[in-house]
Amino acid sequence: MERYIQAMQNSGADAWEIIDTKTQSWQFYFIGHALDQNRATDVEHITLKAYKQSADGQYMGEATAAVSPTESTENINQIARDLVDHASLVQNKVYALNQPSAASPIPHAATSLKQEAETYLKAMQSVQETVDEDINSYEVFVNLNKRRLITSTGIDHTDTYPTSMLDIIVNARRDNHEIELSRLYHAGTCQPLQLKEDIEELMRYGKDRLLASPTPSIDNCPVVFSTDAALQIYSYFLDNLNAAYKVRGISHFNIDEAITHEAHGDLLTLKTLRYLDGSPANFAYDIEGAPIEDATLIDHGIVKRFIGNRMFSQYLGLDQSFIVSNWCVEGGTATETSIRSGACLEVVEFSDFQVDSMTGDLFGEIRLAYYRDGKGGITPVTGGSISGSMLDNLNSMQMTQASRQYASAVIPKATRLNKLTVAGES
Amino acid sequence: MKAPFSSYLNEIAPGLRQLINYLSSDYDYVSVLSTDSKGLHIRLSQHAKTVGNQTMTTERGTVVRVYKDGLYSEYAMDCFDHEHPEQAATDIKSVLNAQLEVLKLTQTDIYDTGLLSDEPIDLMVEKETGQLPEEADIPTLISQLTKLSDYGMSLSEAMVDCVVTAQSTHISKLFMTANRYMRQSYVYSEGSIAAIISKDGQNRIGHDSISGLGGPELFIGLNDKADYAVSSALEMLEADRIVPGVYDIITAPEVTGLIAHEAFGHGVEMDLFVKGRALGADYIDQRVGSPLVTMHEGALCADNVTSYAFDDEGILAGDVVEIDQGILKTGICDALSALRLGVSPTGNGKRENFEHKVYTRMTNTLFDSGNDTLEDMIKSIDYGYLLEGIQSGMEDPKHWGIQCIIQLGREIKDGKLTGKVVSPVIMTGYVPDLLGAVTMANTDHCVFGSGGCGKGHKEWAKVSDGGPYLKTKGRLG
Repeated sequence: MERYIQAMQNSGADAWEIIDTKTQSWQFYFIGHALDQNRATDVEHITLKAYKQSADGQYMGEATAAVSPTESTENINQIARDLVDHASLVQNKVYALNQPSAASPIPHAATSLKQEAETYLKAMQSVQETVDEDINSYEVFVNLNKRRLITSTGIDHTDTYPTSMLDIIVNARRDNHEIELSRLYHAGTCQPLQLKEDIEELMRYGKDRLLASPTPSIDNCPVVFSTDAALQIYSYFLDNLNAAYKVRGISHFNIDEAITHEAHGDLLTLKTLRYLDGSPANFAYDIEGAPIEDATLIDHGIVKRFIGNRMFSQYLGLDQSFIVSNWCVEGGTATETSIRSGACLEVVEFSDFQVDSMTGDLFGEIRLAYYRDGKGGITPVTGGSISGSMLDNLNSMQMTQASRQYASAVIPKATRLNKLTVAGES
Repeated sequence: MKAPFSSYLNEIAPGLRQLINYLSSDYDYVSVLSTDSKGLHIRLSQHAKTVGNQTMTTERGTVVRVYKDGLYSEYAMDCFDHEHPEQAATDIKSVLNAQLEVLKLTQTDIYDTGLLSDEPIDLMVEKETGQLPEEADIPTLISQLTKLSDYGMSLSEAMVDCVVTAQSTHISKLFMTANRYMRQSYVYSEGSIAAIISKDGQNRIGHDSISGLGGPELFIGLNDKADYAVSSALEMLEADRIVPGVYDIITAPEVTGLIAHEAFGHGVEMDLFVKGRALGADYIDQRVGSPLVTMHEGALCADNVTSYAFDDEGILAGDVVEIDQGILKTGICDALSALRLGVSPTGNGKRENFEHKVYTRMTNTLFDSGNDTLEDMIKSIDYGYLLEGIQSGMEDPKHWGIQCIIQLGREIKDGKLTGKVVSPVIMTGYVPDLLGAVTMANTDHCVFGSGGCGKGHKEWAKVSDGGPYLKTKGRLG
């Protein structure tokens, strides 16, 4: 590390930072429950950043270089000098790097690659499969990470943390007809009970998809989101609270103003969380060295605070800010029964559900949904798509009081948007 | 000029050869892929500007693949000490043996696989390029691209930002086994303009892009893209929502490319055949499209962002006819999947980077051109849409379902464009229905390579796709 620090100190940069991330990873790839391939990685990623102010002090340029740990010292020195030259070519309004601060550390459970791998493999072997619903294939990734940030302002902070991921495909079959459903789970350490429960739920969805009939066309049909697809909906709010969106004129949110007028749905509260049990993103500081806090960004539908990286936060005049890691959404009043009341479509499997945070457009092809006719009838349906705009749904959005965690976020168990178009197959 | 092969890789090659020799005493097969790919990345918006050396495919590292007792294992590292390869061999064996202990503890079965062949190949390919990203005239590029962003802003009062991105990557890869010594070097570049407009609380984004085999000299092509990016954003701002239904459609070449990629790109990746995850396996030599549909896939099909000489498993690049006049002929395959299926690999074994596993991945996926003119295609439609611009796509190989998010649709009525625009448009449906309804194709043969492709929701890789304007029927919502 010393040679990188010296290179940056001697580069002529007005400010600099170094991010050094070391990751050891074990990976296991399965076809059914038979091991297709095992892999291990041991890598170090080093990023150097140089900042150079203009002569009049009005602007500060930024240039970044990824440097291989096998690079020679001579080359590192040259890269650092080049960075300063390149930084002087781009002109961003001047801002300051973060200063050192004393946030209390976040403890991580002691674990090892061997322990995490064993826990994942045993968890997967414990999933209850049947003749008609089973696991097609899965991939297990367990990682131990060590990330160090050093800056010219005196920050020298190291985070050591585990992360893990499971990519799984399940099959369901009936009468020579077979379908598949997939999930990508992220976590800190393995959460075996939750994992087993989620996969068994996925297999139940698979069974229902086999029975599904074509989705009917329904204009302005309420749609209920009760899986991780709903994260996209809440990311719309999080993105529009980002200082960069506000400075760039993309976000139309304003401090102390409601996110929508004439709201007659639930009033959303959105908070950042410094620590969330089981999250892969529990850090004391963000990647720029700003301490991460518990903060309320939207309180009962009223915007309280923008947030983001140091550059755009300073452009927006924010005193304290950071890049969000963990977050949660509250404010739902519905029960799991009431949110599904009346005629509605509950989509539990999309091809790829997307909410465009800039435009508010949302869309997704339906792989499995449950159409409730409002008279007690529930029909599994497949095919077609939903589309609409978040802007049309802000007034009447409904959420359950009960919540559920997906990796670094906690969101309502179910979310209902009341003004969407369903392009059906029949 | 020739894109010069990495001097770093040449320097460590003898050490890698020794590493293979050390490991060969414990394993029945050993291969090494080492990479040293350098880049240039410039991103200029009206509010934040950055310059750096990282792109999606810049990397330096080594991945070792070994085989023993029916099992393939890999170890990836970026601190290989070429003067002490015996230490790397010891570390690799130690870690892989520790993994085997866990597999034994959990009584894990092995998916038994045969031994890869290793016929001798000695190859060095250095492809032509205009410039190298590491030698680019960065001051001039930043000046030109800044002017372009400013020009985009000047085109409408509704513009809130105009983001210009330009990136170029100089790939160097070395593949080595007991009998193979393969080296390649090439440069590809890509750029895009995103025009962001805002009016009365509504935001819209229009974009356009360039890509190709070559260096930063290609960025000049961005100059022609700003007007369309801004005008399409403005059109989307005034656009209506489409009334859901099945329509006669004409797909612009970028939309045609997205269909190629999502439909019979992912659908015939043969690592999915091994897992029983693709319907294509049951449809070889059967009709899946109209006689106007012929589709090629391979690194040799076009000169674009993924036109390599050999893949990440040391298999020479190919040009596969996947669909011939509507008949599905074959898929694409990485080396291990080919071994398991008893077929020949097609040169489609790709990694996100050296840290990642090989999967069967697309390279250039292209529909062949036809003989029609766009004017005749429009004239042939009573009511329908010309679909332009792409946002994203997703496949369902198990059911041949497809989802394409399209920027806008231009209304066609009585054989003429009416000027009315709908946006955004989501096209879904059953792939054989979509391709089976193709009745016209024009003479264009465009290739687009500015995006990335995931396997499911991860493993990002560069791909290109394209083709002509196609006339078909599609379900739009």
